Amino acid sequence: MLEALSYFATSWLNPELLALTALGTFLGIYVGAIPGLSVTMAVSILISFTFSWEVNNALCLMVGIYMGGVYGGSRTAILLNIPGAPSAIATALDGYPMAQKGEAGRAIGLSTVMSVIGGFVGIIVLSVAAPTVSEFAIKFQPRDYLMLGLIGILLVGSLSGESLSKGIFAGALGVLIGTVGLDPLTAEERFTFGVVELWNGINPVAVMIGMFGIAEALNQLHHLDKTAIKQKVDKIVPSWKDIKKYLPLSLQSSSIGVVVGSLPGTGGDIAALMAYDQAKRSTKNPEVPFGKGAKEGLIAPEAANNAAVGGAYIPMLTLGIPGDAVTAVFIGALFIHGLNPGPMLLTEQPDMFWFTVGNLTLANIFVLIFGLTGIKLFAKIVEMPKGILIPLIFLLSIVGAYAINNSIADIWWMLGFGVLGYFMKQYGYQVGPVILGVILSRLIDENWRRAIMSEREDMGSLFINLFASPLSIVLFVAICLIFISQTPIWTKWLKPKLSRG
Amino acid sequence: MSDHTAIPKKPGETLFGFLFLGLSLFLFWQSYEIAGFDALSSPGALPLAASGLMVISCVIALIDDFKRPAEAGQIKAFFEHILPLSVALMIGIIFLFAVLLEDVGFIITAFVFLVGTIQLLHRKGIGKSLLIAAVSLVFVYLIFRIVFVVVLPEGIIPEREIMAVIEAWFE
Repeated sequence: MLEALSYFATSWLNPELLALTALGTFLGIYVGAIPGLSVTMAVSILISFTFSWEVNNALCLMVGIYMGGVYGGSRTAILLNIPGAPSAIATALDGYPMAQKGEAGRAIGLSTVMSVIGGFVGIIVLSVAAPTVSEFAIKFQPRDYLMLGLIGILLVGSLSGESLSKGIFAGALGVLIGTVGLDPLTAEERFTFGVVELWNGINPVAVMIGMFGIAEALNQLHHLDKTAIKQKVDKIVPSWKDIKKYLPLSLQSSSIGVVVGSLPGTGGDIAALMAYDQAKRSTKNPEVPFGKGAKEGLIAPEAANNAAVGGAYIPMLTLGIPGDAVTAVFIGALFIHGLNPGPMLLTEQPDMFWFTVGNLTLANIFVLIFGLTGIKLFAKIVEMPKGILIPLIFLLSIVGAYAINNSIADIWWMLGFGVLGYFMKQYGYQVGPVILGVILSRLIDENWRRAIMSEREDMGSLFINLFASPLSIVLFVAICLIFISQTPIWTKWLKPKLSRG
Repeated sequence: MSDHTAIPKKPGETLFGFLFLGLSLFLFWQSYEIAGFDALSSPGALPLAASGLMVISCVIALIDDFKRPAEAGQIKAFFEHILPLSVALMIGIIFLFAVLLEDVGFIITAFVFLVGTIQLLHRKGIGKSLLIAAVSLVFVYLIFRIVFVVVLPEGIIPEREIMAVIEAWFE
């Protein structure tokens, strides 16, 4: 216990780590707030830059950016009606109407405090649940890992995209990209076309920077001339009365956030929308109707999306399965620094786990500090013209890709995947599942082969033995449900019947 | 979500779908080449499954596409909405950047890149573009060189020698 506490406090007591966390959170708020910059983009680019750093320093910076970024999106949603990040889409629904009424300051203050409360709920659940989950996870069979990986890709593919088929395509493409190179088990060449340079595979960081940096920035070129409307910002620190009044709602929304965040494949954006929907249904008599500036409509998504951060860390640290695109990028970073997220992490490197928990807590406190200050400066920076911002994103992406291995080849990969990602976005294919596929490819490959080998290559007995374990049944049913909910059988026939009943 | 017949097709969407189908079929064939169909646990098993899924999902997406109405004037619309001049130019410029980076060096390539692209996208006079490019390049360079310790290609500017001279002054 005492040991855990000392690991927890590592980043609090070391001035360098403290400063890096503060810097990360500060940058994260701006990254999250500036439309066109995303946390995924920032963390992808940062991975390659922080290669040479010590792992703790790199993690402090990135955790700060994650925590700050999830919160930061809300500010532009309130001030400009442009969600700075997908997780702030629901925030704009009521936050912007509040700002239009001249209550921008109160909206920002309230959303900050509620985000921080949500963040704490997420962290508490993470620190309580993760040890239990990881104890439980040691009993997981290879087939369970296989199914968890598939669920992650399926959920990202089906929830974020235009259609399930395009989502599955993107996920499968990612898995395939992840298999390029020498097979880790048999050293057989896969998709190398006789090129020795491909033996080590395609660097996932190059794919990430391409798809989240280049593709996104190219996409932004379509919206160059959107102008921003200025808002009056005054009193920011919210009253105790408001906080006390809305505490139950924020706790309810936070629980939704943690649960949704901890499911593999779903993150803050979906958590926020679900919490908004739930708040709308459970609030009987809002002072102001939803959509016209209801405080409830602002609190629910903000508490939920920050709570989802802690939730997303649970499958990431205990199972090695990312909760969403950002955590997929995070897992990439952990791999690079020689850490192996999975059920053994908590027993073999408890320092790493408690360090992360402590660090998240610290970042959350910085969100509170930076969230309630510096709004004037903020309003100026956010108005930075895209004509300047976009060239800088390109430059950072290029340098980032080069820095992975000090090689031009990674710039080519990045550019190739950037152009591919751009066209995919244009035609309704999501890039999130591609990245999840790349990251999960190895896990799926290894666990599939272990599972099928232990059944002596017999597909039938793999299927039958699946029903011997309750966990496997649950996971299998989950996969089936995701599929059914996306097919015409559900949308045309079952759903109308159920909603009538 | 599978019911989206109302959204009109984007220009080039069907062609893109067919290109993806071609790619998927090629990758399926390549996956088969790894180990054939002989064992479920072979190195080729997952690639076969993934590329097989790609083929199937491509076909489904294409069938969905055919049900949706197409707009007239596809080629013109393609260059207006999907690949406008700014995007095509940008891809070309980044391509050039990568070609020149190693020989010319980071500082010059990045400076020319920033001036050119800011001029192209921001359109506020060359003086302003030069100033913004110079200031941001100094920032980017200092942060990468000092904080992130990334060594960028120096090309025709002998950075190391200049640095050595500067360091010698302080000794």
